[in-house]
Amino acid sequence: MGKFLLATSLAALVIASPVFADKGGGGHGGDNGGGQGGGDRGGGSNDEGGQSVRADQSLGHNGGDGGQFMRAEQGRGHGNERRVERQGDNGNREMQASGNDRGEQSRYAQGGRDNGFRNNGQQRRDLNRDLQRNDPQLFDNRAGERGQYVTRDYNDGDRGGGNGCPPGLAKKDNGCLPPGQAAKFLGARLPDNYANSQLPYQYRSWYRDDGDHFFRSGDGYIYRVNRSNNLVDGLIPLFGGGDYYALGDRWPDDYNFYNVPYQYRDYYADTGQYDYRYGDGAIYRLNNGSGLIDGIVALLAGDLGVGQQLPTGYDVYNVPFQYRDRYYDTADNMYRYNDGYIYQVDPKTRLISAVIDAII
Amino acid sequence: MRFALIILTGGALALAACGTSADNNVAPKSQAARDAAGDNTIANGLGAEGSKFADATKASGLDATLGGPGPYTVLVPSNAAFDKLPPGALDSLMKAEARAKLTKLLVGHILPGAILAADIAKAIDTGKGKASLATFGGGILTATRQGNHIVLTDSAGAKAAITTSDDKRSNGVVQHLDGVLTGG
Repeated sequence: MGKFLLATSLAALVIASPVFADKGGGGHGGDNGGGQGGGDRGGGSNDEGGQSVRADQSLGHNGGDGGQFMRAEQGRGHGNERRVERQGDNGNREMQASGNDRGEQSRYAQGGRDNGFRNNGQQRRDLNRDLQRNDPQLFDNRAGERGQYVTRDYNDGDRGGGNGCPPGLAKKDNGCLPPGQAAKFLGARLPDNYANSQLPYQYRSWYRDDGDHFFRSGDGYIYRVNRSNNLVDGLIPLFGGGDYYALGDRWPDDYNFYNVPYQYRDYYADTGQYDYRYGDGAIYRLNNGSGLIDGIVALLAGDLGVGQQLPTGYDVYNVPFQYRDRYYDTADNMYRYNDGYIYQVDPKTRLISAVIDAII
Repeated sequence: MRFALIILTGGALALAACGTSADNNVAPKSQAARDAAGDNTIANGLGAEGSKFADATKASGLDATLGGPGPYTVLVPSNAAFDKLPPGALDSLMKAEARAKLTKLLVGHILPGAILAADIAKAIDTGKGKASLATFGGGILTATRQGNHIVLTDSAGAKAAITTSDDKRSNGVVQHLDGVLTGG
């Protein structure tokens, strides 16, 4: 199951612009494609921390959708040449920015509703000043400096518990609800003007259309739409600029379905005792008896995606230790890690050209 | 206020020491996540000089992140750095009703991936004297050289130098700071 999910998440990276409500089909590619040979990654034997990475991953696993499969081609000659490719029913197509993703502008990247991406320097916080005042409004900022998805109409005033609701949720008669437009979509048909609202680059490896659901985005949310009736049956809040839910908060009912990004699902599957949910930049562990947040188990930046420019904040090489012998910056390629993937970047254009490895 | 801080910190330490819940919180629940995190995690290696930061991660639930697969780079202000905050600031943040704010402060000290001091230094050189680093708090840190130290400056202008670098852990690396970055 884990392999399948990993493969499907990777396959999502190479499928550009899926058709709205286009049912995924059964998929039977059945080609494991070689992958990385499994087994030798991480290993825990390195001298730089010994992190053990699951050894059973294979990049080249059946995508499971429409017979597409992926092949991981490993070129070790210079240590940096491995590249993930897709061979599908449309022939060979390299997962590079020159594909359909290139030049495509997401509604966010165009600075649509709330100028989603990285307005470096804008809306700066002055937390230090707040701390000096010991102000009760410490950290009550709406935006991260990188300006990510600060798109929801946060409920002013009693955020963060004062109204009994997590940040971003409004207190209503029937509980805590996401404010504004997005809440109206839950249980309703997604409006036609969202038909082509593909997920932003960063999230296409996290959520992939399948036979039961497809995903669209807007207003700072990802909408999961049930194919059987075309109704929105799940909302996933995107990164809200550093506003995290707090330990002990009750998880909002409207977000309460298993929505952990694909690349993390082997690590965080619901159990009899705990549920795992993604929201606003983190994966939360919930006590499924109380419904309360019991821990924050992973942070996700949501920063990088194939086809976009390397954003501000990634000047520094950050590839995990056990992958450094394979992926090191050269005049021709840079490598950066984000949310479970290692990305290849063109140093001249700073365009993110490929997912080069999935490490979790 | 100082007394209150000591009580609070002592209480948190006692809780961590005698209760198993805090310890259990650190280790991932699934075998796959435990294997990926390794035994020598950031959560288990913040050290005596990072004990206030460690207490804060427990209070916020982020200790589970730092005990998980990662990889993360964690900038850990020393206890002395927290002592330089305005009186009562940390006490306020450690209260249950301030957990969201505490979380926000802490995630401003956590970065994606594994970053060594040499990586930052190289980027500073390449970047003509400065380099930018994204935090999980949504902010950008600017790294510069000051003498023999790498200094990080947040969007609010708070500065902290890396005092002890490259404490490699099984799920990332810890860089120790002499200041608290308050701007995300």
